[in-house]
Order: sequence, then structure tokens, then C-alpha cells
Amino acid sequence: MRLHYGDPQIAIGVVFALLALLLAIAFVVIAVQAGSEVGFERVHDIGYSLRKRWLAILVVVGVIVVGISLFDLPYASGGAGARTVVKVTGVQFVWSLQPDKVPVGTRVRFDVTAVDVNHGFGLYDPRGHLIGSVQAMPGYHNKLDLTLSRAGVYRILCLEYCGLNHSTMEGSFTVTRR
Amino acid sequence: MASVTAPGLSALHARAGAFTGDARSIERRVGLLFAVTGVVLILLMGVLGLVMRLTQATVIDMSPAWFYRLMTLHGMGMITGALVAAMGALWYVLHESVPLRLGHMLASYVLTVAGAAAVLVATLVGGFGAAWTFLPPLAFYPAGQWPVWSESLFFAGMLLVGSGFFVYCIDVLRQTTTTYGGLSGALGWRFLRGHESEAPPAPVIAATVVAFDGLLAMSAGMAMGLGLLGRTYDSKVGFDLLVSKNLVYFFGHTIANLLIYLAVGAVYVLLPRYAGRPYEVTKVFVVGWGVALVLIVTVYSHHLYMDFVQPRWAEIVSEISSYASALPVAVITIYSLTMLVWGSRYRWTLASTLFYVGLVGWAIGGTGAVIDSIIPFNFRLHNTVWVVGHFHTYLMLTVVVWLLAFLAHVLERDAGETSSRPARTWTIALLLVGGFGLTGTWFVEGALGIPRRYAIQPPGTAGYSLVGSIFALVFAVGVLACVAQLLGLGRTAWTRRHYVLVGHVDSWTGAHYEARAERNTVEPSAVGESPWDPADVPLTSPAQLCFGAAACVVALASFFPQVVSASEASTRYHHLDHAGHFFLGLMVGVMIGSLPAVSRRVGDRSGLALATLIVAPTAMMLVMVPRFYEPLESHPFEHALYHLSMAAFGLVTGLAASRLGRVGGRFSAFLSIGMVLLFAAAMKGG
Repeated sequence: MRLHYGDPQIAIGVVFALLALLLAIAFVVIAVQAGSEVGFERVHDIGYSLRKRWLAILVVVGVIVVGISLFDLPYASGGAGARTVVKVTGVQFVWSLQPDKVPVGTRVRFDVTAVDVNHGFGLYDPRGHLIGSVQAMPGYHNKLDLTLSRAGVYRILCLEYCGLNHSTMEGSFTVTRR
Repeated sequence: MASVTAPGLSALHARAGAFTGDARSIERRVGLLFAVTGVVLILLMGVLGLVMRLTQATVIDMSPAWFYRLMTLHGMGMITGALVAAMGALWYVLHESVPLRLGHMLASYVLTVAGAAAVLVATLVGGFGAAWTFLPPLAFYPAGQWPVWSESLFFAGMLLVGSGFFVYCIDVLRQTTTTYGGLSGALGWRFLRGHESEAPPAPVIAATVVAFDGLLAMSAGMAMGLGLLGRTYDSKVGFDLLVSKNLVYFFGHTIANLLIYLAVGAVYVLLPRYAGRPYEVTKVFVVGWGVALVLIVTVYSHHLYMDFVQPRWAEIVSEISSYASALPVAVITIYSLTMLVWGSRYRWTLASTLFYVGLVGWAIGGTGAVIDSIIPFNFRLHNTVWVVGHFHTYLMLTVVVWLLAFLAHVLERDAGETSSRPARTWTIALLLVGGFGLTGTWFVEGALGIPRRYAIQPPGTAGYSLVGSIFALVFAVGVLACVAQLLGLGRTAWTRRHYVLVGHVDSWTGAHYEARAERNTVEPSAVGESPWDPADVPLTSPAQLCFGAAACVVALASFFPQVVSASEASTRYHHLDHAGHFFLGLMVGVMIGSLPAVSRRVGDRSGLALATLIVAPTAMMLVMVPRFYEPLESHPFEHALYHLSMAAFGLVTGLAASRLGRVGGRFSAFLSIGMVLLFAAAMKGG
């Protein structure tokens, strides 16, 4: 399976790249200005005044971003209800899924655990987009709810270092057409 | 020949003399010893990093077994190297105003270097490859790759490194709090409340925060490390993996995070010397570091976002903390340091340029980290190489760059000059292009969903690793160019150790000097350490002693037969009962040691106390495994003796804590019992 960029990841990457570019420009400007002579009292007055605005901007951005994010948490809650429960077990160095096939559009609850060490259940859709992950930990069951609306073979890669063959620990899950 | 009172100031800003004193030889030697040791370790580990990247690019054919050995060594070695060097840099600036003890610093050095050597042998000879984060129980599932002795040696090494940092933090905390009137004084809170007109210097506040949080993190790390070490000789030792994961990341994330806070403590003092403006400690600064004190230890849980069984509130607190922890960095530290630089006729030397570059790395790497700490984003980036990208950005381009800057600063001052402008320009260009190029490829790969810690990359993605390797080579050339200039400055400093060259044409100012003068050999006097005060003990008043006695009465319940019997229900309860015995002994020891007559008779003995404080709880937890206590359960007398020995370990720990002053003693006693409780919480089975 070839990996491809998912839309959320592209958006995150672009935002980060733009922020990094803005920061880089700011540091270049400051470095250029560093060669000039400006009285420190003036720098002090203007700098501290701007700092309050800088803090206000960061606080507002933080409240908005963190606030919105809290409405999009990936954590499953309550019983499985009408969801199809897929038991996922990780063991050095294979994945076991029961059942390993569901019809397209099924609302699935992945019930993820491990037998030996910690593993990471990373689910890639048939296009090679990473659509989400959850840890597989011995003694605990992590529950991930997803609706799989694209038919095809989903791949599972291990997203937690688990030993010698970590990078070849793969599994698959099929979503069939109705 | 006239003596020169401020040798080496020509390497600094013309106005820096107003607030820059001469470093004494003890500060230079300790700073250089730690920084050189750390940087050498970092360089060696950097070579391993390059080899791993080339392996992922399929340029080098290395087995996964060796890849993971090198990965484990690379992680632990880098953390240790950066820790050692940053400890030295902070000590260098802190010793000017705080009477830190040389003996403790050297003990810290020996422990840390011994720990690094043990990890080296465990990985390269023993083949240990469970990563430096050693997430339990991976170390005990080696897939035929490493023997038990390598597990023991790795954890022993990790505990030695931890002990070294523990000694450093205790000394820093004790000395800053003694010098500045207690914890609230050293954190600047007395200044904040208007009880004092002047705040402590910036590195004092930073060092106190680092020491406080470092000790908390180390207590978790030591508890986990001792549990894992116990597991290597008793297979009945089991772990609650969620609690263990919390402890591992609380320790690992916090220590990695503190590297930058250690280093910035030195930057507050050193960067202003090139801007000619002293760093101003304001009330906002004090509040910022107070916020950091809390947030540094609450953010770690973002490593457990994808452990859905982690309490929801912990995930949300961690997300808010992770974002909020960026505010003091962005609004106070980075912002105010750039304010110093703005319009200052900044003196661009090798050191000062590296200090400035470090700010860029922190800002950009921190942004990548904040993005990853938003839960819905983390859902799509967790444990991809995006993580590798953001932490390498601020470790390579901030911590490592600042450590090189620290060395450059010391050598430039001793040499009285910096390297040539073309050499500096090329070095910085190589570091920036190579560094951001390398981390940039990780960010791009992370967005693609490539998992981290893959010896073999997913099909079709080796090209990214090849590009990353090329950038890594460029960065390596930049580091080597920097090291070459440091060696050149070192050689010049050595030849001028007896005199100051003032017949020099400065390469960047064009200033001409026509004579050479003897170096002033009269060093500024060291900060006087207050004479040891027998009343500087954890429990100073009758009321506090009564509180200690009351705690003892409560802890006595752990010896009640009904409680002991009930504790046999599970390993966790059993260990909790042991913790009760330990607490009883600890409080008795603290009380006895705090009695004025006993305190006077015993004396200072802080070195012995520190050693005891490490050895006694360690020994207790190493014997607190089923292999030792299960055979005793059918022998009442031996069983009782075993339980009493837990209290005895507590007693000597308490006596030792009483020798570390009011704040140091209380906090170390708290950490000891905390460590035993965490040990009990993480254990299961048996």
C-alpha cells in the first residue's frame, strides 16, 4: 500500500508551514533591525505595549482552537449500541481483527487491546490516508468509533514501537460494497 | 604592564561591561567540563542519528536489530549529553550569585557519565533496543534480541543518570532557596507580592523551577526504573501498564522538556551581553515562570491522547496545558529576548548568532508541537514522524545550538575574539539549511502518515529519508564547522591564558589595539556561602514537630495486624502497606534530625545525606519484590523483620533529608515517599 496525504493532514501542514514562514520572516526582520541603534526606553515602551496585544491574540486563538477541538474528540463513549464491534488484538508482530470484513457505511466500534506489549492501531483507508489511530495496550481496551464509508482494503500499521519487526507489523480490514 | 580588569570583554557588546562580571576559573572549568562532555556525547549520538536516517533511505544496509540498538542509544545518549551540557551552562551563570557546591556538581558528573557508559554497553554490547522511553513491558519481550543482563544494565544506567540529575537539582534547590529566602523568594513570589523590592536574577528563578520540576520527574522515573530493574531478577513483578505509561511519559517528556528550560536559564544571562542590555526581571516574568512551574508537569499526558482509557479530564487538562505552556515561552522568554536584540547594535559573534538561532528553533519547533497537542490533530499525527520533526527542531536547533553557543561564549571571552565573519556566516547557513531541511522532511513525512521508529520505511517513502539524510549531512557539516571554530578559539584562548591581547584588529568592528597586557589573575571573590545553620531543618517549630508526630501515629496503622493481613489481597496493597512502614520511619527520621540538639551534634553532612537519600529508597524498592518477601510469609519473625526493615529504610532516609535544609529536606522527604507510593501504584500481579 502506498501512503497518500489526507485532507486534514494537508490542512495542518499548510497552516504550520505558513506559521513557520511568518516566524522566520519576523526573526529575519528583527535580525536586520538588530544592527541599528534604537534607545532601549523606546523599545521598552513599544515592546511592552505590543506584548499585551500579542498575548491577547494568542489567548484568543487558543480559546477558539482548543474550544473547537473539544467538540471533535475521537473518544468513544457509552455502549456500542447499533455499532458493529470489531475486536482488534495486537501481538508481536501481527494484528488480529474479528470480524475482518464489514459492509460499506457500517458504523464500527474497534475494541482494541494487545497481548504482550504496547502497539499502535493506525488505520489507513484504501486511498492510503491515515484516518486515525488508537493505542493497543495489554490489560486495557481502547474503543474507537468510526463510520467506514469507503469500500476497499484498509491497512493497519503499528504506531507504537513494539520491537524488532515493528516496521513490518501490518494488518488489513476489508470494507465490502453492499 | 598595566593589568586589564575585564579581559575578554572585547568579544561582547561595548555596554555589556556595566552588568557583566568576570567568570571565575571554577565556573569556567566546571562549565567547560560539563559542556565539552555533553557536546562530545551529542556529536557521537548525532553520527548514530545520521546512520539511522541513511538506513531508512536504504543507502546503508543495517539490520532492524542494530537499528533499534542505535535508536535506543541515540535517544538516551542525546538526552544525557544535552542534560550534562545544559547543567554545566546553568551552573556557570548561576554560580555567580548562588553558592553551589563543587563537590555535589562533580558527584553529579560522575554519576551521569557512569550512567551513560552503562547505557552504551547495554545497547552496543548487550543489544538492548527497547527505546530510551522503555515503555513497559517491551524490555521483557526482546524477540530474542537482548539478554537479561543488558536490561539490568540499561535500567541501572538510567538510574545513575537520574541520580546525577537528582543530586544537581537538590543542590540547586537548596542553595537558591537558602540564598533568596525560601522557595517563594527564589521563585520571585516575595517580589511579586511586594515583600521585596528586587527580584532574584532570571537564572535563579529558572533554575529553581527546573530543579523543582526535575525532582518531581525524576521521582517518577526512578520509581519506574527501579520497578523495571526489579523485574529483571524477579519475573513475578508485573506492571499496571496505564499507570506505568503515565509515569514513563511524566518522567521522559518532562526531562526532555526541561533541557530547554535549563539552557534558557543560561541564555537569560549570556545573550544580553551581546545586546548590551541586561535582562529585566519583571512581575510578568515571575508570573510566567510560576505558570511554567505548573504546566511543565501537567502537559505530559498528551503522549496518552490515543490511550482512550486515560481519564477524559486528564486529556483535556493536558491539551489546555500544552497550549498554555507555549504562552510564557512566546510572550515572555522569546519575545523579551528579541526585544533586547531589536535596535541594540547587536554584536554578531559565533556565540551570539547561535543564541539568536536557538530562539528561531524554539519558536518554530514549539509551533509544530502545539499543533500536535490539539487532540483532533493528534488523532491524525500521533506517533507519526511529525513528532520526530517537532522535537528535533527544538532539540537540534535550540538546545544543541545553545550549548554550542555556550561553549563559544566561554572561549570567545577567554580568547578575546570570535571566528572570522565568512566562517560564521557559512556555519550558520549550513546549520539553518541542514537543520530545518531535515526537520522539514519529517514534518512532510508525518503529514503523509509515516509512523515513527520504522527501521524499514513504508513502500515508496525511502526518498524522503534520502532527502532528510542529505539535509542531515549538511547540518553535520555545519556542526563540524562550528566545532572547528571552537577549537580555534580554544587554541587562541590557551595561548593567551597569561595575557590579554590588545594589539588586535577586531574582525567585525575594525577596532585597533596596540598592546598586550597581563591577564588580571585576581579573581572576583566567590559568593560567600552562609555558615551552616543547625536550625535550617525541615521541622523548625514545636507545632511542626507535633505535625510530624501526628503523621507518625497515622502511619503506625500500617503495622496493625488487620491492615497487614488485608494488604496481602494484592501486590499493590501489599506495597502500599510497605509504603506506610517507610513513611513512619521517614517521619521519625525527619523529626529526630530536626531536633536542635541532634542537628547540632550531627552537623551539615549534606554529601553523605544525598548519597543516603538515593541509596536507602533504592535499596528498599529493590528488595520490595515477591522473590524476597514471599518466602518470608510463612516465617512470622522474619516476616516482621522484613516489614520493620521498610521502616528502617525510611528512618535513614528521613535522617538524611533532615540534613538538606528546610526546603531541600521537606521536598526530598516528600519525593521519597512519593517515589515509594508511585512504585506501589505501578505494580500489579506477583
